[in-house]
Formats: sequence, C-alpha cells, structure tokens
Amino acid sequence: MLWLYLHFPHLVLDHIRRSREDQGALVVVEGSGQKVIQACPDAREQGIHRGMRLKTAISLAPDLGMVRADETQEARILEDQARWLYRYAAHIVLVPPDGLLAEIGSLQKLYGGLPAVWQTVEQGLNERRLNAWIGIGYTPLAARLIARAGKGECTADKGHILRALSQMPLLAAEFNQKACTRLQRLGLNTLGEVFALPASELARRLSPELLAYIQKIQGARPDPRAPWQPPHSFRQQADFVQEIEHTQGLLFPLQRMLAELEEDLCWRQQDTDSLRLVLRHRHSEPTRLQIRTSGPEHRADNFLNLIRLRLEQHSLSAPVISMALVVKRFLSREAPSGQDLLGETRDLNEAWHTLVSRLQARLGDQALRQLSPQADHRPERAWSASEVLRKTGTPLVPATELPRRPLWLLNGPQPLTEAPVTWFSGPERISGGWWDGQRVHRDYYIAQLNSGQLAWVFRDAREGWFVHGWFG
Amino acid sequence: MSELLNTLMQDARVWQGHRHTQTTQPAEPTGYQVLDNQLGGLGWPRGALSECLLDAPGIGELHLLLPLIQRVGGEGKSVFWLNPPHTPYAPALAREGVNLDQVVLIHTEDEADFLWTLENCLRSPVTGLVMAWPGKLAAREVRRLQLAAEAGSNVCVLFRERHYAEQNSPAALRLELEPGDQQDLKVKVLKRRGSWPGQCCSLAMAQRADLAFRETTRVVRGPWSGSTG
Repeated sequence: MLWLYLHFPHLVLDHIRRSREDQGALVVVEGSGQKVIQACPDAREQGIHRGMRLKTAISLAPDLGMVRADETQEARILEDQARWLYRYAAHIVLVPPDGLLAEIGSLQKLYGGLPAVWQTVEQGLNERRLNAWIGIGYTPLAARLIARAGKGECTADKGHILRALSQMPLLAAEFNQKACTRLQRLGLNTLGEVFALPASELARRLSPELLAYIQKIQGARPDPRAPWQPPHSFRQQADFVQEIEHTQGLLFPLQRMLAELEEDLCWRQQDTDSLRLVLRHRHSEPTRLQIRTSGPEHRADNFLNLIRLRLEQHSLSAPVISMALVVKRFLSREAPSGQDLLGETRDLNEAWHTLVSRLQARLGDQALRQLSPQADHRPERAWSASEVLRKTGTPLVPATELPRRPLWLLNGPQPLTEAPVTWFSGPERISGGWWDGQRVHRDYYIAQLNSGQLAWVFRDAREGWFVHGWFG
Repeated sequence: MSELLNTLMQDARVWQGHRHTQTTQPAEPTGYQVLDNQLGGLGWPRGALSECLLDAPGIGELHLLLPLIQRVGGEGKSVFWLNPPHTPYAPALAREGVNLDQVVLIHTEDEADFLWTLENCLRSPVTGLVMAWPGKLAAREVRRLQLAAEAGSNVCVLFRERHYAEQNSPAALRLELEPGDQQDLKVKVLKRRGSWPGQCCSLAMAQRADLAFRETTRVVRGPWSGSTG
C-alpha cells in the first residue's frame, strides 16, 4: 500500500482567508489568547512567528487580525478537506489536528501513474487556495514523517523513500521527549541509525512501544487505519475575523460556498430543493434562514439569486460572526424528459421553477396558491388552496355535471343591503355540515342588483339575506 | 377647399387619417367575434398592457377573459391572478374547463411587491396571461409595467376602477365595461394602439348564470315569510 499524506501547516488561517475579501496579516492564537500558534506569510514578514506572545505580535503589527483556535472548529475544517479529497481517493484517514492520509497505491492505474495522482491533488489544493505539504510513503507513518519534514517527492521508489527517512534527524521523527533524549545519549542522530539497531536490543534497552513505533514506520508491523466515511449531508462554514454588518458582505463568501455545493451536488449526481443558512451572532440567537426552490436545483447562480432576494427582505438583526450552509435533503437528479427533440418542454419547466422560486423567496411561501375543487356541498368548502406544484398532467375535462356556480366567491358572506331588481333562479337549497358542526342551511338565488351586478345570494334559515358570490 | 390647404395637401405636410396603413401587432383573439371585429380583427394585444375599467365585479368581466384563460391553460402556460378582490371559485372554473393546474393565485403585501411580482411574471416565458387588480397606480408605474410587458410576449390585463378612464394611460388597449340591461356586457374601446378608439359593442353574457334557459316566473319564494332585506 502506498500512502499519501497531506500536512496543512496553517489550516485555520487558510480557511479564514478564503472567506475574506481584503487580505491582511492574520494569526491564530491559542485558546487562552496568550500565544500565537499560527501566522500567515504576511504576518511572518512583519516578524511575527509561532510561539510569540500576543502582546508582542500586536506591537509589531497593530492592525493584526486574530482568530482564536477552537478544537471542534479545527476538526470540522479538517473534515471539509477530507470531503473534497474523497472525490479523488476512496480510503481516507483523518489525522487530527492537521493531517489527512489517503491510500493512493490503488489509484495509480486509474489516473495513469503516480505523477498524475500528485498533480490532481495539487490542483485540488490550488483551487481551494490551501497550503499543504505532501509526502508519499509505504506506511502511514513514513508518509506522515516525510510530509511534515517537507521532504515529499513524487516517487514510489522504495530505496529513495528509505533514504529520505534515514537522513531525517531524530527530532523530526516525532519520538516522545524521553525516548528522544535517550537515543541521543546513545549517540544516535538520524533515524537511519536507529533503523540499523537490532530489534530485540531496542526493545530491551528502550521500550517495546518505541520498537513498535519504529516497526510501524518501516512497515514491519501492521498499522491498521479505519477509513473515513463521508457524511450524508453537506455543510460548509465561513468564519469571519471582522463581524459583517451588511448583507452585501455575506455574498462574497456565499458565492464560494455555493460553488462548492454545486461541485458537491454534481459529484453526487444529485439535486436539492432546500438550503439552510445559519448566521451566528456574537450575543444573540443565530438567525436561521430556510431557502427553498420549487424544484430540484444544483446551480450556484440560482441559489445565490434566491438568497440575495431573501436577504434583501430580511435585514440583519445583528452583526454576523460566522455563516454556515447546510444541505440535508438530496433529490435524485431527473433525466431530462426526452419528449421533444429540441427540449422545449424542459426549458419551460425550468423557467417555471425559476419564476416560482423567485416569487416565493420574496413574497413568502404562503403568497402563492393553487386552487382545486373539493367534494363538499357547502360552497365555502367546495374548494381548497394548496401550495404551488408543477403538474403536467392532462387538463381536466370540463366537469359539466357540476352545478352552476359564480366565478367569484366572497371571502365570507356579506349582508345584502338592497332589494334586488330582478330575480332569476332559485331556490337551490344547500343543507349540510351536520356531521362536523359547521352547519349550513341556505336557499340560494341568482339575482341582479341595482348596479347591474349579477349576484349569488342566499337566505339563511336564521340570519337573513347574504351575498355569497358574483357572476363575474 | 382653400388655397392654403390645397398646397399643404400637395406637399404631403398634412397626415390624412383615412389613408393610414394598418399596423400589425401580435395579439390573442378574445373569443368574442363581435369584440374582435371592433378591435381590428386582433384581440388582446400581446407584449403590451390592457386595461379593463369597471365599477364593480359581477358584470361578466371574467367571462370576457374566459376564452383566453381556457386556451392559455390548454397550451400548458400559466395564468397568474395577482391580488384578485375575491376568491376565484375553483368549482366554477373547473366547470368552465379551465385547467386549474395552471392557475396560480398571488397575494402581495405592498405596492413595491406588487410591481415587482407583476414584472417578474410578465418577463417569464411560462406566463400566458396575467390578470392583476392594482389598487392605485401612478402613471409612472403603469409606464414601468408597460415596459415590462414589452419585454415578454404575454397578455396582461389590469382591472381598474372606472374613474381612471379620464386619466391618461400608456396601456395599449383600454376597455370600459358597463353592465347592460339584458345581463349583457357593454364594452367601449377607450383607446387602442394603431387605430381610432370609440367603438362600442355589447356582448351577451347571460349564459354565465344559465339565464337564457330560465324564466323569472320559475323563482320560488323561500319557505320563510318576510320580505328581502
């Protein structure tokens, strides 16, 4: 098995910088806020380095951007990287806090050689503007040591890899402090010299654990790693150094997140129809926005347009410190229906979904309704309004057996305030609803009012005369 | 004719109305032959605004549009009802053979949303017909809608109150609707693009309540005593 190790020297920084428009010096400080643990190249140029006290760093660069590292956040960011790497490699192992391991021996044939695999991974890193050191080895630990030492080369030659390992100083080999000191006292300086010692002597004079570690590097002892499984949902988060106060500022990171979503959906061969956007604030409850499209969709532009509309309607209640995009609902992608050669129906379908989604995003889901008749004698219950759905069934045949009804129904019966000029037909007695308590007992007439309007009036058993509809 | 006029005519400096060439514009037949004739054999203009000015609902204004609604729904295009004053009654529409899958009702809260929605509907290729009941509209906003209508090729009918007849409007077709004596609908063309206005016609609308087959004497009084009111 051939392993490829990706070491991210400053993953959190890369992550933050991706959702920032203006580039400035940036550092990551440890939880207590005392020490710098990662510094971006800009910051390093100004003399800030790892382990420096924060106060010193600020005095060197007054407009320094600071981010507090958080273990869960780091784990999440690392998993984000595993997700895109999963497109290229099947067997991936997370090595927290900053490493990823991928089995690439089985990929060489697929990609056409090791250099092609290397190039693909490098390209993926460049697209995401990530800094990573790559190492290749025959055991997970060997790949890791080579990558972390920055000595990675695109070769599968065993001798070459072994030479690189042998020349590595003991400090780079990640022994624990005690073992390292003891080995140095023995006069050993490189890993190669340790490899040369007989195994039984090593176990006796140092410790069995150290021997196991060395054998794992060499590949003489099995080092099983459980493969990582990608989750069944999509999640992306952008964290901001400076709080964002205007919705306009959210669109730039959103663009990138939606582009990743599109890529992810394309790769899954799936679509989605609902996105969840969570905006976190420093002091108040997070704002949750549900963005729905009326049909399956995967294109970033369309999502962005809907979100833009939505954000125009809802101004931010508080400045935003981080934004997460979550998709949990996936729909299988429909094959374009091949009814006609030129695909006109598909275009119309798509245009319909675009229009309805746009309207719903601005007006709210409840603003658009579709009507349908219901089987009930009572006029106010003989129809229902439902959510808008695209139906492409055959049109209804005219239901002429239905009784004559007005085209306008009033939202509730209105009292009849004048005596009609002419009476036309009636009465039509409608009596029902004894089964659900909404009792109706009425005699309906068609009558013309003074104004020339043709009305559907009824007389209730108890309360008198009402207009219930207009023959429009 | 005076010397001066003769000179003007010969120089072709005066436009003579009877010689105008007929302009053609895309249109949808109304489904009423009488009205189509009055509208130069065309009907509802496509890609332009039409206005129906009336006092109150219930005079047959929906039946005026019903042939178009039926046709548009049959073609698989959508009919949008924007802010209707009452509920379009689904059983009645189904009885008339309207494809209810294509009927979409939209309610907007304020005027900005109304204009935005109408513009979006007009520009979309899925729209066949938009019927809108705006409250008050400034002339500038009607102009904006007219431009949006030109961007698409749909029929858009605005229902407005009759007193707007005195106001100018950039709509391509303006009809004034009045109830007639025989439950018919009197249509007066206030404006139409490319020709003279002023035509009047009367459309029989009594069938909308099956009145042709019924006699007034068939009305039976309710079982309860007392008069109307």
